[in-house]
Amino acid sequence: MSEPSQLEDEDIGATGSDASDYEDIMSKSLEDLSAPVLSQPERVNALTSSRTIGLEELNTLMGLRYVNVVGILGDPESGKTACLASLYLLVSHAMLDGWTFADSRSLTAFEDIARGARDWNQGLIPEQMTVHTELSDNLRPGFLHLRLRRVSDGHIVDLALPDIPGEWTQALVTSARSDRLEYMKSAEVIWIVVDGRNLADLEKRQGLIVRIGQLAARLNTMFEGRIPRLLIVVTHHDMHAIDSNVSGRLNRELQRRGTNAEIISVAPFSNQPEQVKAGHGLAVLINSTVGKPCVRPTFWQSTDIEENGRSYLSYRRER
Amino acid sequence: MSRSIILIGGPDSGKTNYIGRLWHALDSGAGALRAVEQPNDINFVLEVADHLYQGGFAPRTEHSELRRDFEVLVAAEKNGPQSKVIVPDISGELWRNAVIENEISPEWIDELKQADAALLFVRVGSDQDVRPLDWVTSRNYLEKIGDADDQGLPTQVMLCELIHFLEDSLAKREDGGRPRLSVVVSAWDLVDQNKFTQGPVAYLEREYPLVAGRLSDLDALDVQVFGLSVVGGDLKHDADYRQSFLEQGLDEQGWVTVNEEGTWVKCNDVTLPISWAVGL
Repeated sequence: MSEPSQLEDEDIGATGSDASDYEDIMSKSLEDLSAPVLSQPERVNALTSSRTIGLEELNTLMGLRYVNVVGILGDPESGKTACLASLYLLVSHAMLDGWTFADSRSLTAFEDIARGARDWNQGLIPEQMTVHTELSDNLRPGFLHLRLRRVSDGHIVDLALPDIPGEWTQALVTSARSDRLEYMKSAEVIWIVVDGRNLADLEKRQGLIVRIGQLAARLNTMFEGRIPRLLIVVTHHDMHAIDSNVSGRLNRELQRRGTNAEIISVAPFSNQPEQVKAGHGLAVLINSTVGKPCVRPTFWQSTDIEENGRSYLSYRRER
Repeated sequence: MSRSIILIGGPDSGKTNYIGRLWHALDSGAGALRAVEQPNDINFVLEVADHLYQGGFAPRTEHSELRRDFEVLVAAEKNGPQSKVIVPDISGELWRNAVIENEISPEWIDELKQADAALLFVRVGSDQDVRPLDWVTSRNYLEKIGDADDQGLPTQVMLCELIHFLEDSLAKREDGGRPRLSVVVSAWDLVDQNKFTQGPVAYLEREYPLVAGRLSDLDALDVQVFGLSVVGGDLKHDADYRQSFLEQGLDEQGWVTVNEEGTWVKCNDVTLPISWAVGL
């Protein structure tokens, strides 16, 4: 008996609410009825984005001041991201020897990198360099901007460090695909990041050195023989310090390809912090990237005036 | 002439307490800047100052959406040029969220565009301060282990982004000069003598190297750094100081450190950061 009575109650309830809805509608003015169904979303303005910089923004930046574009190549897992993360940590702890932070237009991207939030292998490998940075998609290949001041002479340098997938380097080596690395033509220096563990491993060493040679040869073709300075960045210095035998073989391989490179050992992170501090070698890497302060000849030499020197006549005579 | 002065800084950086103390100083008229007349609405500043009068600090501004403005007509000299200063008290949470979400309401943008000066606050020993990532934490992230203790965006990154934001939005001064930014390191009474002598700039270089670096590289803003103690001592943990503070009253308490020819000296005028920023 209880069930039908419940149904009845519900029926009555429904009829009651229908009636009240009807009254509601009738009581509203025409204006209310034609009002938008959804409320307007709150309008917000974007702050200046500090994610990676796309090619267009880089162009604008390069038009404003001299930017030292660095080409960063290296296989997946070779330690490119670790180098960038550690460089950022050094700067944010004021521990990059000889350099202090001045500015960065991509702090958020650096933060993301140090938090492992920019990981290409998690999803699909991006196909192209970002031309224009879009806010909606922060996981796109682009440049990290870092302005540093050299302590010794106050010289300011703007670095544009690309954050790109290692697969692009592999594609350059294996199938000469260089179109998406075109930006490197404005680079002054190219870092080739090499996994120090593989270089130390006797079985992997030979193959790795050959691949570096092949990469050098590809770069030679790409730059038509005028390659920017090459720096071979060997990671995992905390575990394996490379010996002269290995560096000698590397140099010979590069010379065979008509290039040469400086080899720099780094340890972005360290398993043995007592012996090798995390961030080891990165200051050297930045020093080598920027290059030594060049001594410029005095543009307008000042000479003491010789009285009665008859300089003009002597000048004519010497001709 | 009316202008806004923006107070900017993370949560718990000392903005609200400064407004309370500032009003007291403007009202007493003993500093570099004085109130020309009693402002119409002093409810908010009086509330904050009340905490100080009772020997405590105002609690953190929690209600991020609630906006409280302090509006006052100021002058440097009695019959000198006057300027209406509007100091909106915006909670540190709002600034922090603006940076994290990378967006801010148009209302604040308009406010910023009207301002030609700002005060940026950093507080010594704040428990809301987020230190930069270290190598261990970062490595855990990179190896996908994660880190439960991570507090999120470091304070210095947030401050750098806020400075970028000021660079992009503050208006030029009426005299054509660059907009001014007073950087205020609050709770400066907490540092030891050695750090006091080195000054707040050295403190920023040590604790917030990114901020110090950014400040030294600013082309778009004029910057001056001050150390600030709103009441001259620690009301929370120093019972003796609190006692003497309550007995003496607020007038003589509180100071600012300024750099005079290379040395940092105490100056009893807490209006200095704002009077320099207004630049009457």
